[in-house]
This record gives sequence, structure tokens and C-alpha cells, in this order.
Amino acid sequence: MTTTSAKPPAPPAPAPAKGGPVLTLVRGTAKHRAAVAAGPLLALVLLYLGSGLEPFRVGQLTSVLIFAIAISGLNLVTGYTGLLSIGHSAFFGLGAYTTGVMIVSYQVEPLLTLPVAAVLCFALGFVVGLPALRIRGLYLALVTLAVGVAFPELVKRFADLTGGAAGLVIRSRQLAPPEWTGLGAGQRYLWLYWVSAVVLILVIVLVRNLTRSRLGKAMVAVRDNELAAASSGVHIASVKTLAFGLSGAVTGLAGGLFAMYVGALSPDGSFTLLKSIELITGLFLGGAATLYGPVAGALAVVFIPYYTADLVSGHFSGILFGAVLIAIVFVMPEGIVGRLGRTGRRLVRIESPPQDLPEHPTPRAPQGDASEK
Amino acid sequence: MDIFLERLFDGVTNGTVYAIMALALVVVFRGTGTINFAQGEMALFTTYIAWALTTQDVPVWAAALVACAVGFVLGAVTERTLIRPVRRRNDMATLIVALGLFTAFNALAGLLFDSETKTMPGLFPGGQEDYFAVAGTRLYFDALGVWLVVAVLIGLVFALFNRTRLGLHMRAVADNPESAALSGVRTGRILMLGWGLAGIIGSLAGILIAPLSSQQLSLTTMFPILIYASAAALFGGLDSPIGAVVGGLAIGLLEAMITGYVDFVGGALQQTAALVVIVLILLFRPTGLFGTRQMERL
Repeated sequence: MTTTSAKPPAPPAPAPAKGGPVLTLVRGTAKHRAAVAAGPLLALVLLYLGSGLEPFRVGQLTSVLIFAIAISGLNLVTGYTGLLSIGHSAFFGLGAYTTGVMIVSYQVEPLLTLPVAAVLCFALGFVVGLPALRIRGLYLALVTLAVGVAFPELVKRFADLTGGAAGLVIRSRQLAPPEWTGLGAGQRYLWLYWVSAVVLILVIVLVRNLTRSRLGKAMVAVRDNELAAASSGVHIASVKTLAFGLSGAVTGLAGGLFAMYVGALSPDGSFTLLKSIELITGLFLGGAATLYGPVAGALAVVFIPYYTADLVSGHFSGILFGAVLIAIVFVMPEGIVGRLGRTGRRLVRIESPPQDLPEHPTPRAPQGDASEK
Repeated sequence: MDIFLERLFDGVTNGTVYAIMALALVVVFRGTGTINFAQGEMALFTTYIAWALTTQDVPVWAAALVACAVGFVLGAVTERTLIRPVRRRNDMATLIVALGLFTAFNALAGLLFDSETKTMPGLFPGGQEDYFAVAGTRLYFDALGVWLVVAVLIGLVFALFNRTRLGLHMRAVADNPESAALSGVRTGRILMLGWGLAGIIGSLAGILIAPLSSQQLSLTTMFPILIYASAAALFGGLDSPIGAVVGGLAIGLLEAMITGYVDFVGGALQQTAALVVIVLILLFRPTGLFGTRQMERL
């Protein structure tokens, strides 16, 4: 399915009436509109409350936002299009190094580097998508794996540009908030928090619209059955390459923000395959192919290790993390948001008013959903 | 010439280890239909057990046997309790469980044996003087020993698959689980045995590579091996044991030769270069060298 969340803009698929819905909303009525508006409003309020916390907490939340963007990117290709990518650390890294190198070597205004990072990562994604036309499944995962392995080695090989294994340090003066924000240099954390929040909101809107567009439907069709999609007129080649390109671009944006967030980049620090695994973990914890799954997943990958790190010398967090991941597969295979969405649809039912022409063509019936039995 | 032989020996030694790790992945793939990303970390865990035993004055051979036994039990129990319940759902679910195990086993090894680098004693004499001279190049006993163990192991696995009733059942389950079940093969037990077998092979790979690896035995020893082994298994064709062996050796040799003879690559891009070559070959043979092509029906 395309969008699933606890909030009302759920797909109009009839909810499985077990005990019947608690609340029925009719599309287009004042109540329905209020419910639709409540979601974004609540998000804004939470974001505002978050910015008032102590700097350390705001920093943590910023990394959640950045992770959420990166996982949203991965979601496009792995969640919606069904192509497993183990190489997204490379997009994250390319974005980060694009921003880093442009700021350090060319003194470009940090924000202006983000579009460049996105474009470069789109190009890389497009190229990675090309073998997907011939190579499938786990064999394709190997191609993405090659990209993921290659990135840190390439960074070290071209040390003149990237600082190599020693790393690339961005001076904090260059990352200071612009003057019009009225924030002092010491409030960089707030500036980055809001920049990340805005980018995340833009990305969520983009993903939402994309998954409801022709291309988005084609992506899901390719995932569910490639041959059937092709015979229904979906151009597989362009869907796969575009999905990889867009996915790379979004994750690259997150990389650019990450560069501004940490201010020091090293090839073996955050851009190895372990980062890819973290992103995949977040995606499936939160819920693959759900709009808000990446946000829930990002919260989990940032906070679970943080709160368990103090227990027994740090290694315990890894064990717990692995156990949580396995438990999720057993307890809620559709991920946190996928499960919430299902519960939500059971409690709240949205009906179309009588003889209403649907605004959007109805999404696929639920039997195509990978998360259903 | 000397340097060529030296690179050849290096390549073969690494290649044989990649080959058996890849073999473990293939054995699991044939039954379960996914790559077990946790294979490397499970092997790491059992290798640590072997190391811990050697510190208690247990002979290294005995320690290796114990580690293999633990690997067998670990693999079989994992299949029965964690993989089988989710396997029917979809491939992604199995993959996520494997990723969970990957994280958990690595952390468990760290928790029980701390993160310090350990010196794993080798199965073979590994001193500076223990070598044959082959055309002026030193072929060390420990490298040769790895070759021998791997050759014997591969021979045994092939004999198991092709000469025994158990192997016949394994092939039947890999080929068509439903027909196999209808013919009276206990598919569940076969899958468990397959995972157990992979656990043994993986443990051996860990014990063989740890003394030779530049990182010795540490929490990061097995991850690169798993990467190479996955590449080898995919290169050879995921469902082909011969493919795993050929793929492993090919990657070991590619890595050694490209690093040695292509200046642009040097020591910096060895993994990249090996993987790029494999991707290029996959473009022409999308299911690997020996893999079966999948038929799809609508």
C-alpha cells in the first residue's frame, strides 16, 4: 500500500471490520478535514517542543531527523520498488563529502551545497540502477554492495580532494547560522535542527506525492510483479533507474546535512556498509513502504543504542538491538508504523461521500501488499 | 617471477577461505532461499570459543572440533527457532532476522570476550622458518595447511551431496521442497542439518583465517570475509557449490593480482576492483557463472 499511518489520510481500502470501526469519518466533511489537518499540526508542535530542549537533546533529535531523511531515501528503492540496496552508505557518504569538500575547498555557502549533493547522488543512483535492468534480486544487492564497499576506498584513494583516511574537518565558523536567522554562532545546533526538519518535511511531502503519482504506482507494480507490470505497459528500465536515482538523491541530502551536523568526516566512520545495515534496520523497524516508517525507524536506531549503551560495557546494546530486530519480525512484520496504520484503520474508518468521484484513482487492492499474509 | 608466485600463493590462501565461507552461504541458500548475513558473525563467535579454549591449554585441534560442534548446534537451533517460523512470510523477513543475528552475535562475542584483539594460534606451524621453497618463493606451511584443509573439506561436502542419502535429500529439498516432502523426505530436519553444516563450515573458515588475517581475531575479522564470500557465492551462482569454490578462488586471485599489477589500484582499491570485475561479469551472466536461471510464471 502507499501511505499508511495512524493519521487519517489512509487509503480508502475498506477496513477489515472486526468489531467494527469506532469512528467513521466521511471524506470531505469538516470532521475529516480537521482530522487531516491535525496530523501536520501535531508534528509541528512536537518539532517546536523539541527545539526547546537542552542542546544535547536537540542534537540527538537532529540526528533522528537526518536518519529519517536517509531512510526515506532507502524506502523509495527498497520499500516501494522492492530492490534491496546494501549500498546506501555510499549515497549518504557522497552527499556528505560533496557538502564537505565544497565548503572546505570552495567556501560555498553550506545550504547551497545540498542541491549539488542531491544532483550528484541522483546521477550515482541512476548509474547504479542501470545494472538492475539485467541483474535481479540478491545479485542486484551485490551490485549495491560493491558501491558501498567502493566508497570508503575511493575516498582514501583520492585523498587530495577528500582528506583521505585522516578525514575532512569543516571549521565551525563556516557552519555558523546565516545572519538573517538571528541565531548566534553558538546556536548552530538549533539552526541545523530546523534545517533538517524543513528538509525532512519536504522529503515526506515529496515521497507522499511520488507514491501517489504514476511513477509511484509503477514502482509498487514492479515490486509486486515485474513481469505483470511490464505487460501492463510499465517501462521497467526507467522505473528502476529513476527509483534508484531519486532514492540516492534523498539519501544524499541526508548525507549533506550529516556533514554539517558532525563537521568532521572520515571514510571509515559513518560511510561503511555498517551504516547501510543501520539504515536497512531502521527501515524495517519503522515499516517498509510506509510514509512515516522512516521517522519511527530513525527514532529507534538513534535512541535504542543510546539508552542501552550504559548497560554492561556497550556490547549489550548490540545484543538488544539484534533481539529487537528479530522480535519485530515475529511480532509486527509490517514494522511499527505499518502496525499502527493497521490498528488505526480498524478504529477509524474513512468513507467516501455517496456518488463521489474519487480524486485519486484507488490504490491497489490490499492483496498485492507484501506485508499481508 | 618470485613476486608473481608470492601473489599467487596469497591469492590462493585467501581464495580458499572465501571459497568455504561461500560454500556455507550456498548450503544455506539452497535450502532457505536467502543469504545468511549472520554466517560470518556466527563463525566469529565460534572462533572466539576456540580461542578461549586454547587459552585454557586445550590443544588447538580439539578446540577447533568443539567450535565446529558449537557452530553446528548454533546453526541448527537458529534455523529451527528463528528462521523457519518467518521463512514462509517473505524473503525480506528472513533477511531481517539474519541482520538481527549479525548484530547480536557480534555484540555477544564482544560482551563475552571483550574487544581486545586476540592472537589465535594456528592449526599448523606458522613460524618464519616453516616453509618450502618453490622456485625461490616461500610457501609457508600454514598457508599450505589451509589449502589442504579446504581441499579435504570441499571433497567431503561434495561427497556428502553426491554420494550419500542425506545429500540426496538435501538436493531434493533444495530443488523442490514440496515434491521432496511428498516423497517422504523430512524437509524440516534437512533444513536444520543444512544450517548446522553451514555452521561447521563457517567455524572452520574462521579458525583458519584468524591466525593469517592481518587483524588477527577481533570483532571485525569476519565482516570483510563475509563480504568477499557473498560476492564469491553470487559470482559463482548462489545455488551452485562448485560456483562457490570457483568464485572464492577467483576473488582471492583477482584481489591479489589486481593489487599487485594495476598501479592505479595499488593497495587502496583492492576490494573495489575485485567487486567491479564481478559486477561486469554479472552483467553478462546475471545469475552468476554456474547459477540456475529462474523461470517465472504469470
